[in-house]
Order: sequence, then structure tokens, then C-alpha cells
Amino acid sequence: MDNVKIAWRNLWRNRRRTMITAASVLFAVFFALLFRSLQLGSYNKMFRDAIESYTGYVQVQQRDFWEEKIVDNTFAYDEDVNREIMADANVVATVPRFESFALASSGPMTKGVLVMGIDPDREAYLSNIPDRLVQYRLSSGALEEIKKDPHLPDKIKELALLHEGYSYTSSSRLQLDLGIGDKEAATWMPSIERYTRFENGFIEMGEPGVWVGDRLSEYLGLNIGDTLVLIGQGYHATTAAGKYPIRGIVKLPLPDLDNKIVYLPLDICQQLYNAPGNLTSLALHIASNEDKVIQATVDRIEPFLPEDQRVLEWREMNELLVSQLEADNYSGMIMIGILYLVIAFGVFGTVLMLTAERRREFGVLVAIGMQKRKLASVMTMEMFFIGLLGILGGSVIAILIILYGVDHPIVFKGEMAKMYEDFGMEAVMAFQGIDFYFIWQMIIVSLMVILSMIYPLRKIFGMKVVNALRA
Amino acid sequence: MRNCLKIVLILFLAGMAFPLTAQDLTATEIIRRADERFNGEKTSISIMSMTIVRPTWERTFSFKNWTSGRDYALTLITAPARDKGQSFLKRKNEMWSWNPTISRLIKLPPSMMSQGWMGSDYTNDDILRESSVVNDYLHEVSGEEEIEGRTCYRIRMVAKEEAAVIWGHQIRWIDKTDFLFMKSELYDEDGYLVRTELGKEIREMDGRLIPTRIELIPAEEEGYLTILNILEIEFNTPINEGFFSQQNMKRVR
Repeated sequence: MDNVKIAWRNLWRNRRRTMITAASVLFAVFFALLFRSLQLGSYNKMFRDAIESYTGYVQVQQRDFWEEKIVDNTFAYDEDVNREIMADANVVATVPRFESFALASSGPMTKGVLVMGIDPDREAYLSNIPDRLVQYRLSSGALEEIKKDPHLPDKIKELALLHEGYSYTSSSRLQLDLGIGDKEAATWMPSIERYTRFENGFIEMGEPGVWVGDRLSEYLGLNIGDTLVLIGQGYHATTAAGKYPIRGIVKLPLPDLDNKIVYLPLDICQQLYNAPGNLTSLALHIASNEDKVIQATVDRIEPFLPEDQRVLEWREMNELLVSQLEADNYSGMIMIGILYLVIAFGVFGTVLMLTAERRREFGVLVAIGMQKRKLASVMTMEMFFIGLLGILGGSVIAILIILYGVDHPIVFKGEMAKMYEDFGMEAVMAFQGIDFYFIWQMIIVSLMVILSMIYPLRKIFGMKVVNALRA
Repeated sequence: MRNCLKIVLILFLAGMAFPLTAQDLTATEIIRRADERFNGEKTSISIMSMTIVRPTWERTFSFKNWTSGRDYALTLITAPARDKGQSFLKRKNEMWSWNPTISRLIKLPPSMMSQGWMGSDYTNDDILRESSVVNDYLHEVSGEEEIEGRTCYRIRMVAKEEAAVIWGHQIRWIDKTDFLFMKSELYDEDGYLVRTELGKEIREMDGRLIPTRIELIPAEEEGYLTILNILEIEFNTPINEGFFSQQNMKRVR
């Protein structure tokens, strides 16, 4: 008990030294936690975005559809089964879909496209497509108007000309491309928005009409009101052919998809493929996405389903994404490993200084009769207190920032945002809430403190008193 | 000496004449006769139905078919209502399809050649590029077998090296009296069986004896079958070459 008292007094005898050492531990914990939180948060966000905006966590499909995605492997939508699924506590909504391929043509141009039959109202639970409708477009007509406007500065006109034909789903992105700062926005944006506004229509069940991807419409040379011709193979080898007016143009962040997507109302799509009432998948929008809860939901739903159907989980449907993120997680671990190395040397450095500073003191203590073992245990206590102080302080600061960050993710603006968007991601860095990884970071930093403690202890035991006294 | 020469000459001539007798035709001759039975006429107008059988479903559709020689053909789907009015035109090595729902005339691209015609086991290539069973193969009689109560020649045909055909070899069973293709087995270059074709329900139509039901069985896929039924056929009605035109694809009834 004496040792603890002596250690405690030692700490506050030289307050500044203690604070510096504790601060090095504090920063170590703080950075490790923050870094990991951002890392995990970003993965999590990418994951959720990809899953929640497209496949959903759980889907019902015909047994063979996943292996062979053909129209013949569809299942009949049964209202009773749907009601049973909806009755499950974790299921918020079901989203019916009919996906297939077709050739789209307009005039002399033909292209293979992905046809998606959706129920626009129910689809809103997963991918909210109306959000993706093009709002503004720098069409030749709009550019003409911009050029004529005497109030607009030349710089904006030049930039507008440079982006001819570009489409935007939000005015902020348009503003960015035209190089208009936030302050000037109020002056210039209203008139520009008026010139470039792009009017879309909606697609509705029972009403023939399509939404097409921005890049696809450009390739086929189509605009709103034009007719898109689809031809493909339907259910049981019938011919699927139809022509539909274009009601709207969507801009999807993934260029790959934007190049080939055609949205049709579900029932019109089923007619096209000669499979009325059939679905390729029924995606479930669920309340809780914890692994265990999802598994339980799957186990509850499976028994209702007819023989020919099965339930798929997000892991199975997003194999590529899962492995991509795993690979990315490894590179993230290497990064954090380097961070650990840097902060470990930071902690060790301060401990090294501390030992050197107190060499004479140790020598005097031993010379007047203090046992080396007792001195070592006092030293250990000191380090323990410093470590505790640093770890607690660091995590308190980190927790405060993370708690705030969970609700207020870092939103990128400007060029950085553009880069993110071009990769099809939201320009946001999210934090991961307080979780198991916290304990891991604390354990790792504690290990660093323990490791750096070896040095002063060795010094104490190996100390030649005469030399130490002269130091 | 003179007599001697005469005898040699007679023997030689007799030797030449021998294979030409009806009892013992060469394999090539048998194939030629059978082929003529099918393709020998100038034109044909027929009404057929095709049934596609798959493990879990089957589908039937009917069509009308006009042909002139090997080079020209026009096909019009007449039932079911959904597919009615679709037409296909073959002119030499090219094929077009017309679809009234979308009012589009489409020339079938090379990439679609290996796809089944109307979802059947007949590929577009089968319809378009029918090679000559007579000229592109070397024939050899390899026995006699009974098929559906008819005695048949079993003829093995190996593709000639320079011939542009997709089959490595074929085995055909040809009826001895009427020269009908009763059964064919088609093998790829590696010697694997790809499909079997059976000629059934031999009947006289417009004065000719022909199999009116042809079954096509792909070897690789179990439970797959395509049945072609010839309901009516008329030979040698004069058809103008102009009949086989893109304009007519949209008009023809």
C-alpha cells in the first residue's frame, strides 16, 4: 500500500512530466479509436448503401433464379404468402421486382439493356428512384438561354459550355460544375436553374412508360416523349417485344448501370415478358439488420414459402462486395498497424525521456537503502496510473467526438465530393458507433504501455549506483 | 487375242454397271435420293405446328411456310394470338424477322445464329445454313437396321475436310424402299452426340410420301424435345421470287 502512495505522490511531484507522458498515451488511444471508427463506419456505410439501395437484406426468389437468371425461373406472386411475410415483426415492407435483359432500340441504334419492372410506390422502401431523376440539364437550349443572359458572368458561361449535355440530379452539383461559390449562389443559381430545369414524368402501374438511364438515353439519342423499343425472350420461350414512351430520365451513380438501365412499371414488364403475376424477386425491407435478427427472420419466413421458392440473405447476394470490403479491411488494418507503430514509439519516447531524467533520483534512492524491487514496483504503479489516465482521457474525448459524429458525419464538398460521386458513393465519411472495437483499441494501447515499461524496469535492475549518482 | 480383249472389256463394263443396279446402291446415291425427296421440289407451301417440350413446361405454336429452292423461305406465325403476325424471311445467307407489335424489321445478327428459333431446339443457323448432305460428306453404308418396322440403310457420313459444316459426322437411317430419313444422329467434331432427329408418321401428302412428324432431341439436355408437325403441304405451286421480300413480310397472311 505504501508503494501506491509513493507512486501517487511521485506522479504529482513533477506534474508536467506526468502530463506529457499521459498525453502521449491519450493521443495514442484517441487516434486509434477515431481512425478505426471512421474506417469501420465507412465500410458499414458503403455496405448499407449498396444493400439497402438495391438488393435489400433479404429476398425471396424462385429456387433456381440465383444460379440461372432467366425469365423461366420466376415465381408467382401470392398475396396470401405476402401477407404472411408482412406479418413478421421484423418485416417493414416487401418490394416486388421483375428483372430481365432485352435489346433496346431506337432508330438505327441497338443496345443490350437491363430491364427492371418495379412497383414505384413499394420500390421507394429500398431504392428511391425518383431521387435519381434528372433535375437539370445543360442542353443546347439551356446553353442558348445562358449565353443570352446579360447578367451572368463570362466565367459561368464558359464553364457551362464546357459541360454541355451534362445532367444533374441536384442543383448543388450543377453549382459546383459551374464554379459558383456558395455566396454567389443566391445571385446566379435561380436563373440558371430556370434555364436548365428538366421536366420528368412518373411511371405508374398499368401505364406503359419507361424511365431510362441518362447515359443510355444519350447513346440511343432518346429524350422524354420518344419511343423506346424493347425486344427479348419472354416466359417459356415466347417473344417479348414492346414499345414504350419515355417518361423520365434517371441518373444513377454507377456508370455501369446508368449505361443500361430501363425501369418499367411492374405489371407492364410482366406483360412484356408474358409472365403476368410473376416476379424474379421479392425484396424485404426489414427493421433490424443485425445478423442474428436477420437469421431469425429468415428462419421464420422460410416455412411459409411454397416449395419452389427460397430466401436469400445479403451475404449470398453481395458476394463480390463482401470480399471487396474484406480485402479493403485488410489494407485498412495495415494502415492502422502503421499508426500503432507510430504511436507506440511516441509513448516509448516519453518513457525513455522520463527514465533518463530520473536516473540520478533512482541512484540516490538505491544508495540510501531502497530496494531495487520496491523501486521497480513503485515505477510500475506510476506507469499504471499514467496509462489509466491517458486511456481514460483519450477514450472520453474520442467518445464525445464519435457520439457527435455518428449523427453528424463528415460531408465532403467541392472536388472531393465529385470524386466520391464518380465512384458511385455518397461524399460522406461516417463514424462507427461505440462497439467492440473500442475494447480492442484500449487493449492494444495498454500493451504498448506495458511494453515501454520494460525499459525503465531494466534500467532500474541493471543500474550501477555509482554511475547513476554521477548522472 | 482379240477375244481376250473383248472379254476384258465386257468384264470391265460389267464391273462398272454393277453398282448401279437397284439392289446395291452406293451410299452417296442413297443419300442423294433421300435428300431429293425432301429438298428436290421447286417450291412448297406448308402449314406446320411446332411443340417445344421442356422439363417443366411445353408450348405449341403454328406457322405457315413458303419455300423456293434452298435459298428462299418465308415463315409466318399464325398462333397463338400473342405471337401472331411475326414473320421470318430467309434470302440466301441472310435472315430477317418482322415483329408487328413493335413494327420493327430486324436482321438477325451473327451473334444470334446459335440461338434457338422461337425458343425451340432448332437454331437459326440450322434454318439458314443447311449444308448439302450429298456434297459436303463422304458416305459409307455401315449396315442395315429396322426402325419403326421399316428396313433401313445405316449410313455413316463423315464431313469432308474442306466443307464448312458444323457436324463432325452423322449417322443416318434411310428407308430402303421409299428413301426416307427415318433417324439421324448428329455428332460434333469431337465425336460427341449433339442431337437425334426422328422422322415419324409417314404419310402421303400432295402425292409424296414424307414423315409428317419430326422430333428433335438434344443429347445434352434431359427432357428437352422439339416436335415439328407438318399439317398440310403443297409442292410446286409457282411462287415468284419477289414474294420473298421484306415488304411482303409485313403483308403476308
